[in-house]
Amino acid sequence: MRPLTRDETEVFFQKLAKYIGRNIAHLIDRADETYCFRLHKDRVYYVSESLMRRATSVGRDQLMSVGVCFGKFTKSGKFKLHITALDYLAQYAKFKLWIKPNGEMQFLYGNHVAKAHIGRISEDVPEHQGIVMFSMADVPLGFGVTARSTVDIRKLQSTDIVAFHQADVGEYLREQDTLF
Amino acid sequence: MDVSAQLETQSSKYKPITVEKPISLEFDLGLLAGYDTNTLDDQKLKSKNIDEYLKEYTRDGAQLLINELFKLPVSVEDAGVFAQLPDVTTVLPREKPIPKAKPLTRWEKFAKVKGIQKRKKDKLIYDDEKGEWVPRWGYKGSNDDGANDWLIPVSNNDDPYEDLFAKRREGKKQRIEKNNSRHQRNLEEAATQQNKNTTTNPRIVATPNQRSVRKAELNKQVAISKLATASIGKFDKPLEGEPKMKGVKRKFEPTIADFKKEKESNLSILKRVVGQGSKSDGGILNAIANTKNNK
Repeated sequence: MRPLTRDETEVFFQKLAKYIGRNIAHLIDRADETYCFRLHKDRVYYVSESLMRRATSVGRDQLMSVGVCFGKFTKSGKFKLHITALDYLAQYAKFKLWIKPNGEMQFLYGNHVAKAHIGRISEDVPEHQGIVMFSMADVPLGFGVTARSTVDIRKLQSTDIVAFHQADVGEYLREQDTLF
Repeated sequence: MDVSAQLETQSSKYKPITVEKPISLEFDLGLLAGYDTNTLDDQKLKSKNIDEYLKEYTRDGAQLLINELFKLPVSVEDAGVFAQLPDVTTVLPREKPIPKAKPLTRWEKFAKVKGIQKRKKDKLIYDDEKGEWVPRWGYKGSNDDGANDWLIPVSNNDDPYEDLFAKRREGKKQRIEKNNSRHQRNLEEAATQQNKNTTTNPRIVATPNQRSVRKAELNKQVAISKLATASIGKFDKPLEGEPKMKGVKRKFEPTIADFKKEKESNLSILKRVVGQGSKSDGGILNAIANTKNNK
């Protein structure tokens, strides 16, 4: 376990900023307790200071996971967000998309979001922007990237893809061995 | 009972162990080899049953060799009877040429002039203080200059406020450095010496030895020049395909350190990332900066 280097932080924040933009500051600078990002076995964990201090007494080989796993660095140095980060992404999301009940299962099995399944969507979402998906009951389901801007979506047919799937809560079941 | 008939049939079945040759063979039993200098029969070599002849000839040679083996002293052991082979007498030519004499170092030259001989020294010497045998040098060696001393008495000549421990350490460091520089000088002199011997033209000088020395020197200078920027090479963009610098270790911040500092550095990175990331956010940040300036 170690803090991220400058370059790693930059790559990580660039990815995170696609979803929550400047709200990352709320993650770093919290009123309740000091939180920090820590790297362990290529994974980035969001940990409170007190938990992190206790975790330092666990050996590197023995430590499986600590705090909330935000994602991992690939071998080529890119950052991949995991569904486990959804709690924080949903809380601070800049752009949101609500999925109709009949599209929920489609999305939860890893499919992209079609226009027919959109319940609501934030105003002025640009193209290729990170977006967080919710059910109509405001339960976060996952996140992805918009395929078209909000303006362009109006012109689309109902079967066309509106947002690309990146992660969904179904992964808690499908990828439970590699997720945390 | 007459066994002569039986003996007759037995002996006719096998050939006699004695072989007649005009010139007797030379043997090198250490190599299990015999050298036959007799000439082969020309007619038989050209005849049809040449194979038969050669087989016969080989058998005779082998018989003679085996006869010779049975004359050797023999020892009986559990695994069987063993003959003791004598030393090899045949002189084999060596594969590689004899190595050239290495150019002498300065000390070797001096020792040669003065007639100083190298004496073999014992690896262990007796330490009176410890009362045990210790290595002459190296780990736990006797020549550590009292590096593990817990106390150094200050003599009248010493400055009482000087750190004698540091002085010793410094002294050792300097001696090592001096030795290294002498070693380097010896290498350079040897290289130039070799050049003189191999090429008559002083302008064509590129023996592998000197080339490698020059290459190492260049690499060293490149490494130094990389660090010769305002940020000590930290923020320089690495060239494509540039090899990694050797001996540079990655250094990470400690896991538990100043959290305030970490937070601030994270926020500064965030400011840069968001500023360059999306235009709208950058605009907001700039607007904030402007209002602050106006105040």
